[in-house]
Amino acid sequence: MDPTTAMYIAQGMHGLAYGMLLFLVASGLTLIFGMMGILNLAHASFFMLSAYIAYSVLHLTGNFWLALLLAPIATAIIGVLVERFLLRKVHAFGHIGELILTVGVALVILEGVKAGWGTENLPLSPPESLQGLINIAGLEYPVYRLFVIGIALLLLIILTIILYKTRLGMVVRAAVSDADMVNSLGVNVPLVFMFVFGIGTWMAGIAGVAIAPILTVFPGLADQMGMDAFIVVVVGGFGSLGGAFLVSIICGLLNSYGIQFISSLAPVLMFIFMAIVLTIKPMGLFGERE
Amino acid sequence: MRNLKKWIGWTVLLIALVLYPRIFGIYYTNVFVTFAIFALFAVTLNLLLGYTGLLTFGHAMFFGTGGYATAIALERIEGLPIIAAVLIGFLAAIVLALILCPIMVRVSGTAFAMLHLAFGQLMYVLALKLRFITGGEDGVGGFDIPPLGFPGIGSVDISDPLNFYYFAVTVLGLSIWFLWFFTKTPLGSVMVGIRDNANRVNYLGFKVTQTKAVIYTLAGAFAGVAGSVYALFQNLIAADDAYHVWVSFAPIMMTMVGGISSFFGPIAGAAIFGIIEELTSRYTERVELVMGLILISIIMFAPLGFVGFVNFLKQKLIRRSAQ
Repeated sequence: MDPTTAMYIAQGMHGLAYGMLLFLVASGLTLIFGMMGILNLAHASFFMLSAYIAYSVLHLTGNFWLALLLAPIATAIIGVLVERFLLRKVHAFGHIGELILTVGVALVILEGVKAGWGTENLPLSPPESLQGLINIAGLEYPVYRLFVIGIALLLLIILTIILYKTRLGMVVRAAVSDADMVNSLGVNVPLVFMFVFGIGTWMAGIAGVAIAPILTVFPGLADQMGMDAFIVVVVGGFGSLGGAFLVSIICGLLNSYGIQFISSLAPVLMFIFMAIVLTIKPMGLFGERE
Repeated sequence: MRNLKKWIGWTVLLIALVLYPRIFGIYYTNVFVTFAIFALFAVTLNLLLGYTGLLTFGHAMFFGTGGYATAIALERIEGLPIIAAVLIGFLAAIVLALILCPIMVRVSGTAFAMLHLAFGQLMYVLALKLRFITGGEDGVGGFDIPPLGFPGIGSVDISDPLNFYYFAVTVLGLSIWFLWFFTKTPLGSVMVGIRDNANRVNYLGFKVTQTKAVIYTLAGAFAGVAGSVYALFQNLIAADDAYHVWVSFAPIMMTMVGGISSFFGPIAGAAIFGIIEELTSRYTERVELVMGLILISIIMFAPLGFVGFVNFLKQKLIRRSAQ
């Protein structure tokens, strides 16, 4: 394979890996929005928190797999507690109240992380078996990124099966389209929502651990990922998983090829994309309501 | 009687504002100027959020544009009067609002908020990247601040903190007063009508889209004035102070903390934020942590904000005295 093609493919794979991680974060966000109608501005903070917990677990035990298992679960527990004891209480006061509450949670997590772990970049190295390069048809590619794509695909498949093949998934989808109606049919919607919130933060947590060896762990992680995830949710259409998936991949590719060709304007590309889509379709590509 | 009370109130407020720097010294004078800038900024946001029901995540766009316009004008144009510099900030914000409003007034709800986020981030990155205009990360700073000239009388040196206080409080105070006056006009009532029921306002024969555009431009323009005074006050404007997302969130939080339902809520909110920051920064470096916790408790326990809380107490007192 000649070097130029190899470079294009490698950049494409980088974009794909980032897009997949973005989808893990954005899918939770879009489901939470679909069910409750709120933008959870603390969602990316959970993502970052998980990376920090993983760093500590790895530091204590030296086992990456244990960190990958424990950190997202710990994050999900914190997420469920926030939902149960904070978000649910302010639900009656309207969306802007909930929004500001999540801003408060995001601030507390950000400052808590800075107080607990400091502000410098913390390195997190993947296990030996995932280090190094692999040769696929003449293309040298880092094993770890392949692993990231794999784990995101696995989660995507599990999520799709749960949502479209189980009774629980049916209830969740129904609640996304009309929570009040499902509630009055005798389903405990607040409980379902707590479950979805937990799953959402859990997936964001896995993305946090998975991205840590690539970007290192630092307090700005939440801002970077959070902004991208919002764009994905907004452009894809609120509550639309398929839209979130498509736009995640587009954004990942836009990011990696943008850095390749017009590096100075790469950060704006996604915002321009979002502005164009929203100007034409205010509800996003696959959105049915505001 | 009522009129007399009102006049006494205004006179006392005016005297307090005049005497404030003499009593509290330069440090607290500067704290007050910061508060006044953010009070105006939050009031303009509340014009959109509280009065018209439009939530925006990109109000910093106008604040930053006003600031940059004033700073760049003073840097590039020799002998520009100070009032003209502030007016340039005001006009720049108006121009930005006029460019954006054909897109923005068509949407509402979350799309309105997110479109602003998109354009706000666009401005932020542009301010960082267009180095030959904005100075990149360093921003525009160290420009000369011209004296405030009164034709035929003389001029006042504004770079002195005390004189700057009087200048800033006059400009900001007049702006806030103008906006307050605006909410009392018939157009101001239409604005509230749009928030409560846009369709009905439309059926009554008022032009909803055009009214929204006017309010949007007005809110943007005065946010530009706040940014302009901010740039003069700091003698510096940089992308992080001007266009960062947190600059857009700050007035939303101030409005929520102060009380969304009242004109003076955002001003109370800006004051509460200033006081909290002032007090906590003495004891701890984690000002944001305290801010976050306070934000959570306010939403949990006093969802109507400070003004709502005061009204609640008032009603309780009235009920007790009636018994």
